[in-house]
Amino acid sequence: MTTAIGRKTILGFPRQRKPNSSLLRYRQKWGWIFITPWLIGFSLFYFLPMVASFGFSLVSFNLATPDQIEFVGADNWRRAFVDDPEVLASFIKTFRFSAITLPAGMIFAIFVALLMNSKHVHGKIFMRTLFYAPVMIPGVAATLIWSGVLNEQTGWVNMLLQNIFGIQAVGVEGIRWLQNPQLIYYTYTLMGFWGVGNAMIIILAGLQGVPTELYEAAEIDGANYWQRLFKITLPMISPVIFYNLIIGVIGLMQYFLVPYVLNGGDGSPQGATRFIAVWFYKQSFAFFNMGYGATIAWMIFLVGIALTIALFGSARYWVYYSGSED
Amino acid sequence: MNKSRYFWLISLLVIVALALVACGGETTETTETTTGTDTTAATVAPAAPTTAPATGAPVRIRWFVGLGAGSDEPTFAPQQAVVDQFNASQNEIELVLEIVANDTAYDALATQIAGGNAPDIVGPVGIRGRDSFKGAWLDLQPFMDANNYDLSDFDPAMVDFYNVQEEGQLGIPFAIFPSFVLYNKDLFDEAGLAYPPHEFGAPYIDADGNSRDWNMDTLRELAMQLTVDRNGNDAFDADFDPTNIVQFGFMNQWTDPRGVGTFFGSGSLVADDGSAQIPTAWEAAWRWTYDGWWTDWFIPNGPYGGAEFLQGPGGPFSSGNLGMMHNHLWYVAPWALGDANFSWDLAATPNYNGEITSKMHADTFGILRGSRNSEAAFKVLTYLLSPEVAPQLLDIYGGMPARISLQEPWLNNYFETNFPAQNIDKQVVIDAMAYADNPNHESYMPSFLETTDRYNEFWNRLANEPGLNFDAEVATLKNALQAIFTAAR
Repeated sequence: MTTAIGRKTILGFPRQRKPNSSLLRYRQKWGWIFITPWLIGFSLFYFLPMVASFGFSLVSFNLATPDQIEFVGADNWRRAFVDDPEVLASFIKTFRFSAITLPAGMIFAIFVALLMNSKHVHGKIFMRTLFYAPVMIPGVAATLIWSGVLNEQTGWVNMLLQNIFGIQAVGVEGIRWLQNPQLIYYTYTLMGFWGVGNAMIIILAGLQGVPTELYEAAEIDGANYWQRLFKITLPMISPVIFYNLIIGVIGLMQYFLVPYVLNGGDGSPQGATRFIAVWFYKQSFAFFNMGYGATIAWMIFLVGIALTIALFGSARYWVYYSGSED
Repeated sequence: MNKSRYFWLISLLVIVALALVACGGETTETTETTTGTDTTAATVAPAAPTTAPATGAPVRIRWFVGLGAGSDEPTFAPQQAVVDQFNASQNEIELVLEIVANDTAYDALATQIAGGNAPDIVGPVGIRGRDSFKGAWLDLQPFMDANNYDLSDFDPAMVDFYNVQEEGQLGIPFAIFPSFVLYNKDLFDEAGLAYPPHEFGAPYIDADGNSRDWNMDTLRELAMQLTVDRNGNDAFDADFDPTNIVQFGFMNQWTDPRGVGTFFGSGSLVADDGSAQIPTAWEAAWRWTYDGWWTDWFIPNGPYGGAEFLQGPGGPFSSGNLGMMHNHLWYVAPWALGDANFSWDLAATPNYNGEITSKMHADTFGILRGSRNSEAAFKVLTYLLSPEVAPQLLDIYGGMPARISLQEPWLNNYFETNFPAQNIDKQVVIDAMAYADNPNHESYMPSFLETTDRYNEFWNRLANEPGLNFDAEVATLKNALQAIFTAAR
């Protein structure tokens, strides 16, 4: 049982008062002992590399000529903010893609989870397995499969569109899913739908945790399906949606695998897929500018932190915690 | 000892044990790359330092292959044979071969250099591979002077090719790959067109016996006549359907904007003062190509890049549905043209404004500055480049010898062995050498890889989008390159 005392909160969570009983101190001691191995691992493999990467952001360091490492102060940071327009452009491309894929992915995941939770759907276990199965396929393999499926010349999506719906989809004048800069974000979003399994499972768990008496009471009050959805279901699973949103935002700041596998990270079509994580990779591991790459990595980290804080800040207005004392 | 002390002692031991497990080093054994060895394994193989050995033990020299030719499986055994031959010939140096797949070789080498585990010798490597690791190469001049290395069998221009300002002599000529036009004789015959001239500087004599200057305009006209749609119309016909092309006339296959630009003349994206520039001839070549993609239709554009009828083992030309292309000697190889079911031959490069430029590729071996045994590495290098051993390696890599004395016999043997059924005019290859580009189209640029990435993006845009404001695109590229050059300072 939570021993929250007082009304002050940190990011929406109740702040706990310093324990003063010997039992609490005993528990706290064991708590520290149990998490110490993790703390050591975190320090060695996360915290120290982070400190090191900040150090790298202050030097000019090329992998090919490591002996020519040179302290450059804030030059890399100035380059990222002032001299390199690609950094801002890459962030904008990331945000533009996020603006499409994040809501679309979230709505699709909720839709599928609602479907998988519906009493009107038969063979739900089998269907859930089917929807989750793609998650178990390695991302690289899945992306390569999609590149074949969406090939404008030989992909079955275009062939299907042309042969069944009569749309001119195949060939030079066809639909170029992977080469058209106007289409590419929707293509990536479509590919993301395929991997909806994780989000679906989490939302499904949230849906199954909504007390049925709430629905029964609403039905007695005459609420229709949509009213029940918007007044009960979505508010009750809002913590789950919030969690998926946070994970989604962080994931998009790191969105790399698909553009790398499909286009080798060259940003094609026409630079549209040069997201910030791709630009970070190019600078660090293709151009070997490790110092500048470290700077971009820190910018990604800082922007990710800012967005996460903003989301936590907004949570109080739309996320409902039934167990919260606030 | 009370209960509390036991508690802290056990806790401490557990923590230390966990930390030791977490930080434990790998016990990967050093394995050498041998014939048929998986190339991925080769990238992580030798971790052993090449420090001076104990008395009596041979010095270990690591030879890294992957930046250029030599990372295809069939080349493993012959390369290892050269290594074995060297090791058997003496007992002071142990040469170890490391082969890394080309697509991961750049990362692997960079990681090894950064980790203080640099190999000694790298090669064969072209200009692009060399400049991707600018500053990492050893100046060979002191070693050449100390050993009185004989350069008399090389074209001085080829020796100078490897002399880089402020870095020194980074290589000794090994293999060269001149460029020329390759044409599909069957398609010319089918269209009733005369073949392009084989002699550099000679005019084109058409089927009616009329003489015309063999220049870019003539090439364009021939190429448009060779470009055919599904209904059999060529690119000059009013009814020509550009959405249903089944045969193209020409392309500069497998090169980048610098290579395409050099087709019209030598140049560099870097001006003498270090700023970005677009050479006039290159802009003309790019415009010519852009028109060829989107208005004259004789060059396969981006959307046609994946067309099934252009997929041959050696890309579009080997598919048999491309009339002409410009490429290097390395393309004239069994892997590309061995199974070609059409007749082909070589022709002269056309001129632009009266000047002919046949871009050159050249491979060599270099020694890294990180080598801990550069003296021994130079001994190995001279062995690999010697008149006795170089021909063996050239046969493996398919390169033409940079040694003048070896060139003609090599060419005769190469064509007779690999293409006995084709009557190839090898004189075209020899003549092309005189028109090599200077500065070379692969030469140094500030922030080499980033600059390459940026101009490739520009090129992809042109190849995939018709109706662009060409001048504006070129201006944008120039500004972007300038920003990269400025940052590189």
